[in-house]
Formats: sequence, structure tokens, C-alpha cells
Amino acid sequence: MIRWLSILLLVCCFTLATTFEPQFTRFHREHDSSGSVFVALMGDSRRMFANHFFAEADAYFHSGFYPTIFDTPAPEEPGHLTETQEEHDKEDHTHEETFLGKPSDWIDRVGRHFYPTVHTHLSNGHEREILPWLELSAEMDPRRIETYVTAAYWLRTTLKKPDQAERFLRQGLDANPDSYEIYLELGRVYFYNKKDTRVARNLYNLSLQKWRRADAAGGGPDGHVYEEILGEMVRADRDAGDLDQQLADLQELLKVSVSKDTLQRSIDEVKAQLARRPPPH
Amino acid sequence: MNNISAIAGVVIKEMYRRKDFYVLFVLTALITLLLGSVRFFNDDLIVRYLKDVCLLLIWMSSLVIAITTAARQIPAERESRTIFPLLAKPVGRGELIMGKFLGCWLACGLALLVFYFFFGMITASREHAWPLVSFFQEIWLHWICLGVVVALALLGSIIFAAPSSNATICFVAVAFILFAGGHLSHLANGMRGMAGIIVYVIYYLIPHLEWYYSAQDLVVHDWGRIDWLYWGVATIYGLLYSGFLLSAAWLAFRRRSLTS
Repeated sequence: MIRWLSILLLVCCFTLATTFEPQFTRFHREHDSSGSVFVALMGDSRRMFANHFFAEADAYFHSGFYPTIFDTPAPEEPGHLTETQEEHDKEDHTHEETFLGKPSDWIDRVGRHFYPTVHTHLSNGHEREILPWLELSAEMDPRRIETYVTAAYWLRTTLKKPDQAERFLRQGLDANPDSYEIYLELGRVYFYNKKDTRVARNLYNLSLQKWRRADAAGGGPDGHVYEEILGEMVRADRDAGDLDQQLADLQELLKVSVSKDTLQRSIDEVKAQLARRPPPH
Repeated sequence: MNNISAIAGVVIKEMYRRKDFYVLFVLTALITLLLGSVRFFNDDLIVRYLKDVCLLLIWMSSLVIAITTAARQIPAERESRTIFPLLAKPVGRGELIMGKFLGCWLACGLALLVFYFFFGMITASREHAWPLVSFFQEIWLHWICLGVVVALALLGSIIFAAPSSNATICFVAVAFILFAGGHLSHLANGMRGMAGIIVYVIYYLIPHLEWYYSAQDLVVHDWGRIDWLYWGVATIYGLLYSGFLLSAAWLAFRRRSLTS
């Protein structure tokens, strides 16, 4: 009797395991795409670490020239981490004086010879050095969109690794399916690197839809990104030779852009091209 | 001088007989190699994070070696009562302090050579470059810094009762200096009255070990060598502080009863 009961219990256990295992895996995937070990061990504190790792990437981008918690950081513009050395050189960096200031005494003066005191940006492929910190940041907080966009920017531009950029962006999309920024960057990978205008145009369109949905929901999406999406759509239209769509996108862009004169000239040019076009048979 | 070198030799022998250095070196190497085996975005040329972590581990290991080795020297001699035949040789108390310091400092130097050789190998394997001048300046400044730490721990071993409490206090003090030492003047500026004055006094009194520690950023981010003039200033500054702390240790030890 006991033997039969044991076999029955074993069969029940096996049946329950095969029933619950797929459900457990699905539940796990739906609720958090990040490593469960991090979630279990660190909870919400991992977001703090994610911010720290992103700041570390920024410090590396400046080759160690970075304010500590005791210094007053200079106000950086968003997207500062995707600024090249040439763009940086064109700017007026008066804020460097406010971050370090003048040496307060001889200890400070001598001490400045032992750490980086010049504001530079990584260049010539050395931008790769920030990538480990960005990957760690994404591991810690998969919902931090800026991490994916920044890493993908360098991967697709200077480092010429569009496949890696796409892989990382898709990883970001798993955790942030409604991110218009990630769709925009993914579209750029297809447009500028993979030269696939059709897929790029679709991704831009998706990005635009996501932006509008966020706007309608009162999420206060970034207006500058909206301009960027439309700008990229215009470029994709021009590349595809779709004048009607280009005109429509330019007119949409005209509503939000500050450089209205330039855009109006582009609209006039497209209209002239449309007028010259032979009528369809 | 013979007495000093004899005592120093015993301290160095003690270090390579103990397992502290080997354990710390293996840990440092293991963590660095494990991190080095991780590939980020299929890129083999990423190296700075590895240099950064390796140097951090080297600094931590070297501080552990310096503080624990120096903190136990005199208390161990007193506990095992070997200090009495030692001082009856005749060896003066000043010579004992100097011998212990020199032994600990040289032992730290030997450990640093091994650590930095490993660091150099890791760097060369990834960067295919060996900036020897920068490495030399970094090792030298690190060693000078450890000299101050060893002298501090020796002074602590005479003031505080137990080596454990001395080591803990030294670790806290060194960590505080490395983390906030250079920023105390900024903090003092924001304070009013007596508190600001006290923070200023601390700022000028403490040895600024953060100079030596922050130099690793120049190696990690390939900034090139330090101006030799300031490298020399840092060397003299460190030696002066070591000398001051050793003099204080000698003064305290001179009046200390060995039987209590």
C-alpha cells in the first residue's frame, strides 16, 4: 500500500512540476526582464547603482575629469554623453572654472598635478571605454532608457558596431516597449548603418506613434525628440524619393520647429519638385 | 645602522612567511582575470575598467598589508616578551622603531612590485603598450604613501592597547583621508565659527594621502607622466610626514613602560 502511495505521490509531483514550470517561467519573464539575482539581492537599490554606473561612464567619457560629491557639478545639457570632441571644442567651456575653481591653497594647488584637470572627451574609438559601465547600468536598471540610447549611439557611429547597437536597443525595448527614444535610435541604426530606409521609416513611424501616445496620456514627452523623429522621417522620405510623404512630414515639422525659414524653403523646393513631376497615367 | 637593517630583515622574512600577501595577491589576480574574461559588446580593446578595478584592488590589498603588518609589530614583541632580549642587545628604542618601519615599508615595496608587475602584464596584454615612466611614478607614489601609513600604524601600535583596535582606527583614518581629505577646506568654508576652524586645522594637519591615491586616475586614463617637480614635492612631503610620525612614535615609545 505504502509503495503504491509513494508512486502516486511521485507522479503527482512530476505532473505539478510540468504544469507549473512553464507558467513560472512566463510569470518571471513578464514581471521583470532583468537578472533575477540582482532583483532578489538588491531590490530597488539597484537603481541607485545604475545611476552611479551611468555617472561612472560619464567620468570615463571625460577621462576622469569629473566632479566628486563634494564639488558643485556644472550644469550639463542632456545628451552631453553623446557629444563628440569636435562638438565639445566648439563650445565655450567656462563652467570648467566653476567646477574646479581656483586653487584654494598650496595643498590644493599641488594636489591638482595628481588627477585630471582638463575637460576632454574621448575620441578616435576610445569611446568604447564607457561601454562596460553602460552595460552594467542597464543590468541594474533596465528601465533607464538613456543608457541604451547612449551606448547605441557610440556603437553605431564611431565604433561601427550596428549589430551590437541593435542587440542592445532590442534588449532595452524588452524592458521599455513604449520608449519612443529607443525606436528612434533603432531607426537610425537601420537608416544610417544598415541602409534599409523602409525598415527605418517604419521604426520612425512607430517612434512617432509612441511619442503621440505618451503625449495624449499626459506623460509630457520630450518635445526635442519629437522634432528629431520628424527630422529623421524627412531624411528617410528624401532618401526613398517619396515627395508626398516628405512634404507632409516637413509641414508637420514646421509646426514645432524654431527654424521656420529654413523649413519653409525646403517645403517650397519639395512643392516645386512635385509641380515638375509628370502627372500619373 | 646594522641593528636597524637586522630588525628590518626579520620583518621582511616574517612577511613572506605569513599568508596575508599570497591570499591578497591571488584574490586580486582572480578578480581581475575574471573581470578581464567578460566581453562587453564583443570588443576586446576595452581596458580602462579593468585597469581601474585592478588598481583599486592593489590599493586595498596594499593598505591591508601595510596596516596589519605594522600594527602588530611592537605589540607582538611585547606579548611574546622578545622585546626585552631585543632591547638588551643593545638596541635603542629609536632603532627598534626605525627597524620595524623600514622592514614594513620595504616589505610593502616588494609586495607592490609583484602587484604592479601583474598590473603591467594585464595592461600590456590589452593595450599592447607599457608606459614605464607613468608606472614607475605610480608605484613610487604608492610606496611613499604606504610609508606614511606604516608610520601611522606604528605610532598607533604604541598609543592604542590592542593591534585590532589600532588597525581599525588606522583603516578608518586612511579611508577618511583618501575620500574626503582634499575636500575639507571646501567643507570648512561652508561652516561657521569654531567648527569651521577645527575642520581647517584638521585639513592642514592630516597627511594628504589623496594626492598619491588620485594619481592612479592618470594611469587608468592614459594622461601621461606627472611633472617631475611635483612628483618630487609629493615624495618629500610623504617622507617628511613619515619622519614626523616616526619621531612621534619614538617619543611615545621612549617613555612607555614595557611591562604594563
